[in-house]
Amino acid sequence: MKRSLALVLVLTLALAVFARVPSSRAQDTVTIQLMGWSSSPAENAALEEMIAAFEEANPTIDVDLQLVPEYDTTLQAAFASGDAPNVFYVDSSRLPDFVDAGVIAAGGDMIVDPEGFFPSLVDVFTIDDTFYCPPKDFSTMALQYNKALFDAAGLEYPTNDWTWDDLTAAAEALTSGDTVGLVVPPELPRWLPFLYQAGGSVLSEDGTEVTFDSEEAMTALELYLGMVEDGIAAPPSELDSGWGGEAFGTGRAAMAMEGNWVIGALEENYPDIEYGVVELPAGPAGEATMAFTVCYGVAADNDHPEESWALANFLTGPEGATMVAEAGFGVMPARQDAAEVWLETRGIEFEAFVTGAANAHRWQFPVGFGDFIDTFNNGLKEAMAGNMLPEEVLEDSVAIAEEILAE
Amino acid sequence: MIDEKSPISESVPTIPPQKVTTMRTTKFEETVAGYLFLAPALIIFVVFLVIPLVMAVYISFTDWNGITPLRDDDAFETIGDDNYQQLLTQEGRRQTRFFTAVKNTTYYVIGVVPTQTLIALILAVIVNQKWLKARGTFRTIAYLPSITSSVVISIVFLWLFSRGGLVNAFIELLYPSYGDKAINWTDDSTGVFHWVLKQFGVTRADVGDWASEKHYGLRTWDWISGPSVTMLMIMILNTWTTIGTLMVIFLAALQNIPSYVYEAAAIDGANIWQIFRKVTVPLLRPTTFFVITLGLIGCFQVFDQVYIIGGGDATLTVAVLVYRNAFGTGSNMGLATATAMILFVIIFIFTVLQRRFFGGERANW
Repeated sequence: MKRSLALVLVLTLALAVFARVPSSRAQDTVTIQLMGWSSSPAENAALEEMIAAFEEANPTIDVDLQLVPEYDTTLQAAFASGDAPNVFYVDSSRLPDFVDAGVIAAGGDMIVDPEGFFPSLVDVFTIDDTFYCPPKDFSTMALQYNKALFDAAGLEYPTNDWTWDDLTAAAEALTSGDTVGLVVPPELPRWLPFLYQAGGSVLSEDGTEVTFDSEEAMTALELYLGMVEDGIAAPPSELDSGWGGEAFGTGRAAMAMEGNWVIGALEENYPDIEYGVVELPAGPAGEATMAFTVCYGVAADNDHPEESWALANFLTGPEGATMVAEAGFGVMPARQDAAEVWLETRGIEFEAFVTGAANAHRWQFPVGFGDFIDTFNNGLKEAMAGNMLPEEVLEDSVAIAEEILAE
Repeated sequence: MIDEKSPISESVPTIPPQKVTTMRTTKFEETVAGYLFLAPALIIFVVFLVIPLVMAVYISFTDWNGITPLRDDDAFETIGDDNYQQLLTQEGRRQTRFFTAVKNTTYYVIGVVPTQTLIALILAVIVNQKWLKARGTFRTIAYLPSITSSVVISIVFLWLFSRGGLVNAFIELLYPSYGDKAINWTDDSTGVFHWVLKQFGVTRADVGDWASEKHYGLRTWDWISGPSVTMLMIMILNTWTTIGTLMVIFLAALQNIPSYVYEAAAIDGANIWQIFRKVTVPLLRPTTFFVITLGLIGCFQVFDQVYIIGGGDATLTVAVLVYRNAFGTGSNMGLATATAMILFVIIFIFTVLQRRFFGGERANW
């Protein structure tokens, strides 16, 4: 014990000494820390390539890329200790917290060519008319269908013009034995498209009023839960799976509603599956899907704001976005013209993910709504297990949302 | 936890203090040297334990979000005992979630601590038998779960207990009719007692209004419906992984019991059960106290298995609630530290109570 203590002390001192030794290039170069989470090996390699290209174009800037596990916790600790990285990933759901805490710099004019991004994505990262950070890439939710199972059931493949009735009818026809028609995770973001398709919403446009207690919300909930009750849809855990993509890959569900991430996961784990992708079916109020997106935030407390913005702009600018597109991994670049390139690399069969951007809703709630999400998820799960009624789920969630807004 | 009146200090005759007037400087030097030797450990203790602890107490009275740098002037405001009120007395979502976590954790502790202590004791006695062949192998096998990563074990358990998993297949082998209503262990929020009552057709609606009344944000029925099925799985998992460590502690204590005690008991005509009950168990009492204390503290703080297996409110424990309040969307470090403080007080009270009941004067560890 004592020996290990001494060892720790010596190591700490040694590290401290070495950390202070200035690098030979320190005189004329600036080091920018970029913190993110690790994605697929292909995506990490592409990012490193982009950074190498950036460093070549800007010889005075050194980029220190840190892809960390437990990203949320690590970043939060870095902020709290006042030692934040210069540039960092920001998930859309987390932006309100960072803005509220005052740790993220407002982008505004620093962001190059904002018109080139998908407008819905710019909208996601805009709070109180301030565009905070340039979007890195995004995923939308679409409907995946198993071609073999459709053929076996003698059904025609889904189209972009599908409606709720088409979905339930097909799910019913596809359910047999161990296989259900559709996998429905008991999670708010998976259900939200149905709410929007029904014409409902959680909060009013300005975010000051709870509009969740509505007929539309009830309709959407009854559709989602009704399919489970009828046995034509099931949550992943009922299908011996950890998530929807796994249930779809193992053939336990004939259809799934996942985002772009499903492409890579299926390719890697279930390479033999033949599947197609179409837009989510339309509800009474038309089409809707969700966009999940991440941006490059720049720290408010920053020694090198200009260099930081240079990096963020390079990675999200036309050049960077095209590099993302050409690498062709799961997520789509946030720029409209680069999305075309992505489709060429990836294949036209994934078009539904790109076209979904036109009617995608943001995955973002005001500060403090984590409790609302937890409550709704729990209620949805209980309702799927038959322990709660749809109206009780709605009632509980509305009460929580109103409690949060009242604070 | 040092006894004020340990039997040893009483039995040793006190030596009158020697008068050392000329050696004051030597004594001072000795003191300095003593602290110098202590310094490395003390510094680490203060920096990584005392300071964070004091800070955590302070933060629990603020509204710090856990993101804004603490050195910023507007990083937080002191809000008195607001956080504690929201958790304990004020009706609302925070109170409901906190008491859901308390309920789950309490059932967890009540279920796991006695079970793991008892099984570890029995296992230790068995692998301590001289007639047992390959004792080393058995000891190793029993200890293996304790040194395996809890994350890996959690994931393996998820596979074993999934609806189509091995556990269900085994039960179906014994009861062929089970297949139609197989339990989804990994994701079932039904309380265990509630589940049993349901088999006899009793539900919340049948027993009267008292079951639907809310106390501390939870219905009486929810309070008494027991740990959820998923929680039961986590309890089994954790019992299984902890037994090994506790067994080793018991084993060490068993080997300290001199053989003549057993011989004397045998000559007096005690049978195996009597020897176990009247000799082994009483002599192990200090160790049992230690094991139960360890178990209590560990169980109240259960985190990683729950974090991996998930399961929402049905498996929410206090330690997980602390984490969920502190990090991620809507982080609220003030609330999280307040939750942690209450957890600390709960553990403290239980340890003291436990010491009253099990510790006695023999608790000299």
